[in-house]
Amino acid sequence: MPGGGRCPDCGSTELVEDSHYSQNQLVCSDCGCVVTEGVLTTTYTDEGNLREVTYSRSTGENEQVSRSQQRGLRRVRDLCRVLQLPPTFEDTAVAYYQQAYQHSGIRAARLQKKEVLVGCCVLITCRQRNWPLTMGTICTLLYADLDMFSGTYMQMVKLLGLDVPSLCLVDLVKTYCSSFKLFEASPSVPAKYVEDKEKMLSRTLQLVELADETWLVTGRHPLPVITAATFLAWQSLRPSDRLTCSLARFCKLANVDLPYPASSRLQELLAVLLRLAEQLAWLQVLKLDKRSVVAHIGDLLQHRHMLVRKAFRDGTAEPGALDTGEEELQGQGWGREDRGHGSLDLPAGKRPASPALLLPPCMLKPPKRICPTPPVSTVTGDENISDSEIEQYLRTPQEVRDFQRAQAARQAATSVPNPP
Amino acid sequence: MDQNNSLPPYAQGLASPQGAMTPGIPIFSPMMPYGTGLTPQPIQSSNSLSVLEEQQRQQQQQQQQQQQQQQQQQQQAAAAAVQQSTSQQATQGASGQTPQLFHSQTLTTAPLPGTTPLYPSPMTPMTPITPATPASESSGIVPQLQNIVSTVNLGCKLDLKTIALRARNAEYNPKRFAAVIMRIREPRTTALIFSSGKMVCTGAKSEEQSRLAARKYARVVQKLGFPAKFLDFKIQNMVGSCDVKFPIRLEGLVLTHQQFSSYEPELFPGLIYRMIKPRIVLLIFVSGKVVLTGAKVRAEIYEAFENIYPILKGFRKTT
Repeated sequence: MPGGGRCPDCGSTELVEDSHYSQNQLVCSDCGCVVTEGVLTTTYTDEGNLREVTYSRSTGENEQVSRSQQRGLRRVRDLCRVLQLPPTFEDTAVAYYQQAYQHSGIRAARLQKKEVLVGCCVLITCRQRNWPLTMGTICTLLYADLDMFSGTYMQMVKLLGLDVPSLCLVDLVKTYCSSFKLFEASPSVPAKYVEDKEKMLSRTLQLVELADETWLVTGRHPLPVITAATFLAWQSLRPSDRLTCSLARFCKLANVDLPYPASSRLQELLAVLLRLAEQLAWLQVLKLDKRSVVAHIGDLLQHRHMLVRKAFRDGTAEPGALDTGEEELQGQGWGREDRGHGSLDLPAGKRPASPALLLPPCMLKPPKRICPTPPVSTVTGDENISDSEIEQYLRTPQEVRDFQRAQAARQAATSVPNPP
Repeated sequence: MDQNNSLPPYAQGLASPQGAMTPGIPIFSPMMPYGTGLTPQPIQSSNSLSVLEEQQRQQQQQQQQQQQQQQQQQQQAAAAAVQQSTSQQATQGASGQTPQLFHSQTLTTAPLPGTTPLYPSPMTPMTPITPATPASESSGIVPQLQNIVSTVNLGCKLDLKTIALRARNAEYNPKRFAAVIMRIREPRTTALIFSSGKMVCTGAKSEEQSRLAARKYARVVQKLGFPAKFLDFKIQNMVGSCDVKFPIRLEGLVLTHQQFSSYEPELFPGLIYRMIKPRIVLLIFVSGKVVLTGAKVRAEIYEAFENIYPILKGFRKTT
């Protein structure tokens, strides 16, 4: 030590500052004798001068996984196991969670949001591997609100810049249909209601494909459409026994929840099928309605591509294309009665139905209210504002007094809730 | 993957979304930056005292614009003659001024018939935006502005209780929200007035109307006895809507424009398209209706629609 001190034991001048953990010590480098040592503990006054470093600003945070994150990662693994996903999904979902956790917005979020984040990670993993998991399922498992889930999901996709493919409809149909408990007889399911799984699946797929082609799926939640299609497929495979069964009863039998929009999807699908039926010669004479058309769904689906082309004209085409469409219809012979006649000669009843526009239902409904284009205003923003116009928005002194009196009376009334 | 067929019964049952599905319309709150006002706007602040100066400045701007237009015109006259004639028809208004002739791509600052643009968009109108399809015509559809959100600083502290007491058109519920909600009939707008003196004005259908409405609110506050001024008026957000009149295959659009689009039918029936240039968010619905939001100036809405229209037309023919 340059200051000049000697070791009391050996007399050497080689003294070094060598702290023993947190205790400062002056040690002789020759014999190891401790010459002086600092105070191990801090005094009360000393501590007043210390400045604590918060955990988030220390380096410890980056090295360790926080307890909250550990809990989240455990939840992710649990959720993957509950859903019985393949093991690779688990690792991907965990990685997404860790990635999301690095963003400060997520780290500082409420626990409720972190819980929902678990679901988001699992959902994104499943979507990227074409595993048909719906948001409703995740929300049910997490006891989460769909609004909360949607906000967190959109935020996460934006933050991480992820590419999340759409829900695969075909896979969803297969998974959802398989969950219907109709494939073997049981005390609650009579024999006439039992159906072969493969037949029902293939017909449901065809019906969903038809719905997709006729604009019933775009912009709507996919599941009610699939419910309606499954119901129709099931009914049409044995119409004589099953026409009496309603949609609600069907879902109850199959032990599946009935989504609310399913009944209106059912009506839309039946309307489409009726339009297709109008183009089939042997069905035209039968004058089908929404109940009787179910029996012929098999035939309609078999020829659905041709029938859609004929029953509907392109709602998106330019107006000029309509004329060629009409001629095409008259030219095609498809066993129609009126082949020899021009369509104008026949009375309305015998004419083949003129093709309806292939448009989404929201465009076919008449507009709820006509929104007139607002009158063009020549406001400059700098006009004079007349005093009278402003006066109309101010209370007169009498009104102010009345209002104050009314307020006071109300205060008095509420402060004595139960007058004797 | 054939995992789906071999799912154990428990997982199959879970694939259906049971009761947690909200009946009817799923509620969705899009994360739109209303009122963030991050981009510093150079021009739009003005006090009522400097109106004359502002008018002079705007006239000078207009003259400069017209000069630049004429120069550009000469350059492009030969090549784009046909296109210009069609776009001229779209952009010529009944304003009586020299018809501002734009190339179809720079339709941005076209005046709408009737509105004299004393409050023009302060952007550079003449830089041609990289055209997506150079030979395309303009769509002929003009988005209508539906809502303008603007802010202004009244420059003095306000006593909200007094305002709520002495104004007829005010509501104030401090437990629910810490501002007075005031409404006027003409232009039909709503204002949120805060005790710091800052005010938010919503519901106007044009920039000029928004400014007039904000001035009326400031006048009401003045008459209530506060030394209100009219500082830093700024348009924060503009919302427009239009209809392309044909249905759109949203699934197809999300496949081809994946990096800009977000389509989650389980959450919201529309497709959310985040355009980079200009920075506008579009909500595109299957019926062909389009909502454009996030604009600070009217031109951004028009530009965004002109950018999206060819993309939407590409989805016009169904399979």
